[in-house]
Amino acid sequence: MSSSASFMERLGFRKASGVGEAGWGRTLFVAVIAFIYFIPVLFIIFTAIKPQNLALSVPPTLSPTSFFGLIPDQYVFSPTLENFGSVFSRSMTTGGAPEDTGFDRYFFNSIFISSVSVGLALIIGTLAAFGFSRYPLKGNDTYLFIILTTRMLPAIVVIIPIILMFRTVGLSGSYIGIILLYTAFNLAFTIWMMKSFFDELSLDVEDAARIDGSSEVKVFFKICLPQVVAGLAATFVFGLILTWNEFLFALLLSGADTRTVPVAMNQAVSSGGRGTDWTLLAAIETLFLIPVFLVTFFLQNHLLRGVTFGTVKR
Amino acid sequence: MSTIEIRKVTKRFGDFTAVRDADLSVAAGEVVCLLGPSGCGKTTTLRMIAGLERATSGDVVIAGRNMNELPPEKRDIAMVFQFYALYPALSVGQNIAMPLHYEKLSKAEVDARVIKVAKIMHLTEVLDRMPSHISEGEKQRLAVARAIVRDPNCFLFDEPLSRLDVELRHSMRGQIKEVLTGLSKATVIVTHDQLEALTMANRIAIMRDGLIEQVGTPHDVFAKPANVFVASFIGTPQMNLVDADLKSFDGKNASVSLAGNDLVIAADPAVSRLKPSKVTVGIRPRAFTAANEKAADTIAAQAELIEPMGAETLIHARTAAGGDIRVVVPRDKRVKIGEALHLRPDPKQTHFFGEDGKAVRA
Amino acid sequence: MSSTTATAAPPALMTLAPDNWKLAILVGLAVSVIAAITFPASVSFWIVGAMAALVAAAFVVNAFRRKYYGGLLVAPAIAVLFVMNIFPLLWSLGLSFFAYQSNNQSIRFVGLNNYIKALTNDLAAEANWNALVNTAMFVVFTVAAQMVVGFLLALLFAKQFPLRKYLLILVLTPMMLSVVASGVFFTYYYDPTFGILSYIMGNITGEQFILMDNKLGAVAGIVFADAWMWSPFVMLLVLAGLVSVPKYLYEAAAIDRVSGWRQFWTITFPYIRGLLMLALLFRTIEAFKLADLVILLTKGGNDTMTISYHLIRIANEQNKTSEGAAISYLMLFMVIVLTNLYLYLANRRSHGA
Repeated sequence: MSSSASFMERLGFRKASGVGEAGWGRTLFVAVIAFIYFIPVLFIIFTAIKPQNLALSVPPTLSPTSFFGLIPDQYVFSPTLENFGSVFSRSMTTGGAPEDTGFDRYFFNSIFISSVSVGLALIIGTLAAFGFSRYPLKGNDTYLFIILTTRMLPAIVVIIPIILMFRTVGLSGSYIGIILLYTAFNLAFTIWMMKSFFDELSLDVEDAARIDGSSEVKVFFKICLPQVVAGLAATFVFGLILTWNEFLFALLLSGADTRTVPVAMNQAVSSGGRGTDWTLLAAIETLFLIPVFLVTFFLQNHLLRGVTFGTVKR
Repeated sequence: MSTIEIRKVTKRFGDFTAVRDADLSVAAGEVVCLLGPSGCGKTTTLRMIAGLERATSGDVVIAGRNMNELPPEKRDIAMVFQFYALYPALSVGQNIAMPLHYEKLSKAEVDARVIKVAKIMHLTEVLDRMPSHISEGEKQRLAVARAIVRDPNCFLFDEPLSRLDVELRHSMRGQIKEVLTGLSKATVIVTHDQLEALTMANRIAIMRDGLIEQVGTPHDVFAKPANVFVASFIGTPQMNLVDADLKSFDGKNASVSLAGNDLVIAADPAVSRLKPSKVTVGIRPRAFTAANEKAADTIAAQAELIEPMGAETLIHARTAAGGDIRVVVPRDKRVKIGEALHLRPDPKQTHFFGEDGKAVRA
Repeated sequence: MSSTTATAAPPALMTLAPDNWKLAILVGLAVSVIAAITFPASVSFWIVGAMAALVAAAFVVNAFRRKYYGGLLVAPAIAVLFVMNIFPLLWSLGLSFFAYQSNNQSIRFVGLNNYIKALTNDLAAEANWNALVNTAMFVVFTVAAQMVVGFLLALLFAKQFPLRKYLLILVLTPMMLSVVASGVFFTYYYDPTFGILSYIMGNITGEQFILMDNKLGAVAGIVFADAWMWSPFVMLLVLAGLVSVPKYLYEAAAIDRVSGWRQFWTITFPYIRGLLMLALLFRTIEAFKLADLVILLTKGGNDTMTISYHLIRIANEQNKTSEGAAISYLMLFMVIVLTNLYLYLANRRSHGA
């Protein structure tokens, strides 16, 4: 940089002069801000490895290590993995023998219900989006708007009729019921998102494939779908994050066998009238964060590309 | 004084060397074309002059100032991009006015300059339209208008005509040349189209694989190609480059064995530097005359393929040794397929290249 | 594009053919009505369901034979949405004209009374109005905070730099947390006795600091938590817009010596405007539904009741199902008007530019 480079420029904030790359200075700056933003999450993770009796200590204990004397001793606790054990097995009454908490089942439920319903919404929604994009119906925009409005209302508005309906049909507490509900819950977003992806594709390529003798089915699978992989990934991640953490539907509609982690978490931490069990809550949330974190991390590259591609006109 | 000067400029991207030790100077009022096949480093060279890329080593000097450390905005240059880089959210008029904001002119002054340039580039009618709503030719003119609205040190053009169709390209070439002549600034134009380079440039720099192979006037690079690459790259149809054995040279006439023929031909005195050895002989397709019968200075060949090109006819002829020779003859010269030809090359248009590919010339 | 020319003539009404959907509807309707009269609901539901499937199958075969791909592709989505969203919505629309409580079997037609009560009753209307005003306030504050923070975060990540990928996922994590956990932990952060915030403030001022004991503090606490969780979503959309700006435009701007501010408004902003509007739409809709954080942080105390939480109370805790339905229809009406206004403005702006 020239000698007149400002402080900000040295940090890596060069004005857009060609290379869209900044150096380690930028990394350092962003790392500080990202860390500050991450602190509340970090605190939950640290609470998960805190001894239970220190959860509400004053002054609050902040860190499992002193980071080479950076943090005064009074804020440091000695880490333990006990809390993770008590997620799955702990004594339910004071002094009682440890019991199975059923959380393995709840974790399975969360994974099963989320992945099936998001996957189903992706399949149905992508087909519909392709239909809306390529074979517009009469009143296409009206349909799309109605679909959007299904996302606008608080869950509570539709939930009472659904409870009544499920009860009549015998679907309450079943996997099918909650999966169908979450599928519908994700459909609006999926259709809007995927339609904008299909709208962006060049029709020429498809027509060329048709002229070469491809059937409509082949055009969809061989020509269109490969071009929107990034969009599928982005939609999947968004849908997964929303479904994974959904609480109200799950609370009111899942039975003992189909209970998902957010519901079980809510019950576990406030049961027994002993107030919030902070370390247990933190341990559950930490474990519960891992799957969705990993999926997001591995699909991260698609996430940005997907959003860009789908929603910005050139 | 030259306005743009680059000295020993090298650009490396990781292991790949895009430009190697490039030297070039462009005087005020001079138009230099960087010409070469795609991937030869010509655009990278231009971007280094603009400051959009930083040279790995070497110096970029504009108007006598070393610009190595300066970002583009401090170099006082104007550039026309290959994809025009029109600001999509601004109208044509606002696009032209964009470079003027830096100079903090009054609104009236800006308007006056915009209208003046719009008139030159025939954009007056579309000043209020958005870039997405004007024709390809207008987009191109707008890109040029935005460059010439200022009074910069120099102009840089990156493949300015590559997106236009043949007809538009033709007329734009003329227009740009006219505008540039009026401005007399140092100008660098990057192109892969030799016709564009030959018609627009005062001098041409031919690049290949990151190296500048030859810098010269359009006449020089055509008539005196420095090496086999330049010889083959410039001129259509392509120059015939035939492998030959140089047998002897008496200071005036060279005796070569070429494509199954023994040929005696007048050659540049410098050919004496070549010991009897393998050489490449270059003859332009238009440098042949047809003789009636075999002679010491003719090449025997058989017409194989005939392509009428309008005013002239291109003949692909096969020599005794099996090589292919391209010959251009006037339209009225009738040649039949299979006919035996005796081709007499014009010694003044015959080039000798040594084994290293370099032209041998006094 | 699509070849919609009919390839076969439609079958006559009484022909027994797999694509005769008219006959299927007739038969289906007849069987359904009979089943509904003769069998109890738990049995007749499945018979009606089977008839619906029959009609659907006829539609599908018909669409295939005549190449109505559009309808065919859209049908499954419409079916799921109909069963799980539109049907319940219509059901609750129906309920809004009755007096019905879910803990009580009696049901009585009352016409527009629920609506009249929601709009004019001294107590109910005032509570509704109050919740609505609070919701509007939360929408404005949370969405504004998310847009600003998300935008600034996106600017940070708009360029490539070492370890960018890892730092980005750190910022995205709050969005992935379960609101149950993060909400409960925010009560801890804000707790007057044990909380970190109070500890820090206490050390500075020497007095006990209680954030949530007044409306301003309570709203600030909720807005902060919500903005923290959902700014990453806005960031992602804005970032996508930022990276989609062609690099040569910035290069041209550098050569034309365009100032940073002007560069932002003339190049960057037009590219991210669409995504900003999308982020605004989605976040506004979500903010309108804000309930969970309020339940966890204040339970509606300190005048922080939102319309969505208000509805949960009426419909679920007080079991006034039909009254809740009426309020939610008033709310749906409002949301639709607002969304249409928004779409109208968004379209007009993009056409005008």
